[in-house]
Amino acid sequence: MSGTAPSGAPRARGASSARPVNARVGAALLAAGGLLAALPLLGIREDHLNLAVLVLLAVVLAQSWNILGGYAGQVNLGHAAFFGLGALVTRTLWIAGTPVGAAMAAGAVVAVAAALAVGALAFRLRGAYFAIGTLALGEILRLTVGNVLPEISTLPAPAIAGYRLAHRYWIALGLATVAVGVVAALRGSRLGLGMQAVREDEDAAEASGVAALRVKLCALALSTALAGLAGGLFAYYHISYYPAHPFSPHWTFDALLITFIGGVGTVAGPIAGAVVYVLLKEFLALRWVEFHLLIFGALFVAIVLVLPGGLVEAAARVTALGRRGSAGRAAAAPRHPAATASAPSPGPARAPLEASVERSRSRGRLREASREPAGPEG
Amino acid sequence: MLEVDGLEAAYGAGAVALAGASLTVGAGELVALLGPNGAGKTTLVRCIAGLVRPRRGTLRWQGRPLTGVPPHAIVELGIAVVPEGRRLFGGLTVEENLALGAFTPRARAGACARLEAVYALFPVLRERRRQLARTLSGGQQQMVALGRALMADPRLLVLDEPSLGLAPRVVEAIFETLVAINRQGVAVLLVEQNVHLALAVAHRACILEAGRVAREGPARALADDPEVRRAYLGPLAAARP
Amino acid sequence: MTVLQQAVLGLLLGGLYGLAAAGLSLIFGVLRVLNVAHGELIMLGGYGAFWLFALAGVDPFLALLVVVPAALLAGLALYAGLFRFVVAAEEETRIKNSLLIGFGLGLALHAAAVRLWTADERAVTPAWAGGALTVGGIAIPLVRLGALAVALVLIGALHLLLARWRWGHAIRATAEDREAALLAGIDVRRAYALAFALGTALAGAAGVLVSTGYSVSPAIGLEWTLKALIVIVLAGLGSIFGTFVGGLVLGLAEAASAAAFGGAYREIVGLVVFFVVLLVRPRGLFARA
Repeated sequence: MSGTAPSGAPRARGASSARPVNARVGAALLAAGGLLAALPLLGIREDHLNLAVLVLLAVVLAQSWNILGGYAGQVNLGHAAFFGLGALVTRTLWIAGTPVGAAMAAGAVVAVAAALAVGALAFRLRGAYFAIGTLALGEILRLTVGNVLPEISTLPAPAIAGYRLAHRYWIALGLATVAVGVVAALRGSRLGLGMQAVREDEDAAEASGVAALRVKLCALALSTALAGLAGGLFAYYHISYYPAHPFSPHWTFDALLITFIGGVGTVAGPIAGAVVYVLLKEFLALRWVEFHLLIFGALFVAIVLVLPGGLVEAAARVTALGRRGSAGRAAAAPRHPAATASAPSPGPARAPLEASVERSRSRGRLREASREPAGPEG
Repeated sequence: MLEVDGLEAAYGAGAVALAGASLTVGAGELVALLGPNGAGKTTLVRCIAGLVRPRRGTLRWQGRPLTGVPPHAIVELGIAVVPEGRRLFGGLTVEENLALGAFTPRARAGACARLEAVYALFPVLRERRRQLARTLSGGQQQMVALGRALMADPRLLVLDEPSLGLAPRVVEAIFETLVAINRQGVAVLLVEQNVHLALAVAHRACILEAGRVAREGPARALADDPEVRRAYLGPLAAARP
Repeated sequence: MTVLQQAVLGLLLGGLYGLAAAGLSLIFGVLRVLNVAHGELIMLGGYGAFWLFALAGVDPFLALLVVVPAALLAGLALYAGLFRFVVAAEEETRIKNSLLIGFGLGLALHAAAVRLWTADERAVTPAWAGGALTVGGIAIPLVRLGALAVALVLIGALHLLLARWRWGHAIRATAEDREAALLAGIDVRRAYALAFALGTALAGAAGVLVSTGYSVSPAIGLEWTLKALIVIVLAGLGSIFGTFVGGLVLGLAEAASAAAFGGAYREIVGLVVFFVVLLVRPRGLFARA
């Protein structure tokens, strides 16, 4: 989605200069992580901590969607179904006495199992059909759960008495770290490259030797596992809610909005998007209910049309403009998440796959340029 | 009337389809465009039709440049293209297909008379005019495609592989019609695999190879040329005087 | 309520499903664009009728004369301002982008509606609304019957437009084969704009009828988009009347499931059928070969 065209020599140069940069970035991340972990101990206000939990929850939710939608290019409009399943299972088990860690793990397992069961079928659908099929699936689950469990679910009194926001916060932080870590690991991996190849052009990817279905199912599994965990966090965090609520499509919409506005298919995008989204929502909710959706909906459309790389791409362009002063540094500087997202590290086994991704991307661009259909109209 | 000069076009990052093709079609001429598969003939047709934008080179029609002109405007200017595979509107009737050929404002004047002329040229279409186009045979579909192009009142008719998939008898009938149309003053650019038949009806011919015009000249001369005969008409034909 | 009564009510509602689906089907068939904000456009049409009634006492069936042209213009504006940019890409990208854009548009429209008019349900209730025709013990509410009649008329009008009007032919030709349409001299962009406008006009009309016989609120957007999608997948693209019949079938299916499993599961049956049909025949049960 964020398009730079890596070629042999500049990439190698980039890779070698990436090492000191990566060390610096790594140190910064570690420091930030430490600070974040210590947050509850620093005497921060409770409502701010709540906000932090919501941001972290949004990060996990968005990153989970990002794996299937951003990297593998499969727009899943039923994401809430897995969030909901995770919440349902976790809540049920935890209230019944299971330790929350096991309950959340179980939630994730159920979510993945459901996803794989459906995915094997749903992935026979391409593009739009997959999206609306998953939308239907999500709605089916929501309506069913709403019918079967119409009453509000409230924590029993001892659990409310023993409620520690800090625990929720640390679990949220841990999950967010895992989610970001998974996406970051994907970026440079063979699986991640396979996903991107499928995203750009599934047929070409198959022709290059990528087992498209297997790749998509892996993406689905990772995506829904994280979504299930996010649901578990939701169930652990909220004192009372309607069981059908986590199945509501608005969680899917949130995931999409955050991911696209932040920068779909990047690591930093969903993080940036989550922060902006949750904070803006909180700020606007005080004055205008639902207004944040109007803004974000419009922003989303603008981004899809004009700036597909979202905030991350915007930031990259702004810093690239700033760099124009310094002599001849290629736009593929590894610092920029936009560039690094599309320039995977080299390796002989990966080269043909990268070429295929690039070919598909350029073919896609050219098709758009020449206004030429890919084949006979259906 | 049609001047193609140094046309370059490519698909995707590297697949070059035309590498400097040049040809002309004068008023009233029937020019055949020949060449092996993948030579770029269809790409050239698509450039003329306005479906593909060439990277370099010029395309002129009666003196004015065609690059950047949208396909529907090119029809208005007097060029009608019969694409490879006919590409009819299968779910519409024969008559609706033909009527759509006269969609442009210039063509609308006199559309009724032209429809009659098309039916006179292809009587079988008049019988089947309320039939859905996809229910027709290959040869009849080709007639509809040709008729639709004629409905646009073209000064240049471009055909991409009209003989493809048709029985020899049908192909001959189509080609006879082409000659008749040409005699009425419509210039024709004919892209064909059937070299023998194409050279028999054309005034001039161009041979496209690897995106460039390799040979060109009067059809008769090319037909007699031993190299051409060997390459396109087979060893036995080459041996024959 | 007897089964027959439920079936009749289901049919009456199904006609509106068919109308809603026809608009979306036209847009998708011609532009290959999936405007998932179609339901929100229906919602806006409903509010149009509501406010015309509430503020000026305009009878909803007369309100059609205002809302439909307004929706036509709105469709042109949406195409020119938004969806025009999507059609340049090739099919799969185009569908995906239109899905995303429709999604954002729908969200924005929904939020605007909540902001402007609150989340409350509204209904248009003209003085004559309470009446019903009783045939053999079955009560047929007059407004809903009128709504079905209007839906049929609009569907018929669309069919005529596509069959007789020069640009109707052009729209059908573009839907069949965009390139061939270009080669025939059709300005495909205009055909796109027209198809989008017509589809949106149908959505607006559907909205008016929905707010009259039933009710309208910002939440109906997603619900009606799904209904339209279900019908399109059931009926396939191609025949306007086939789409309408598909709507009737969905209405009946919902009534049947409500009768069999209770009202709570009425919505689910449509979705389940939808999902199954998508898996088995993504191009619809009645699609052309």
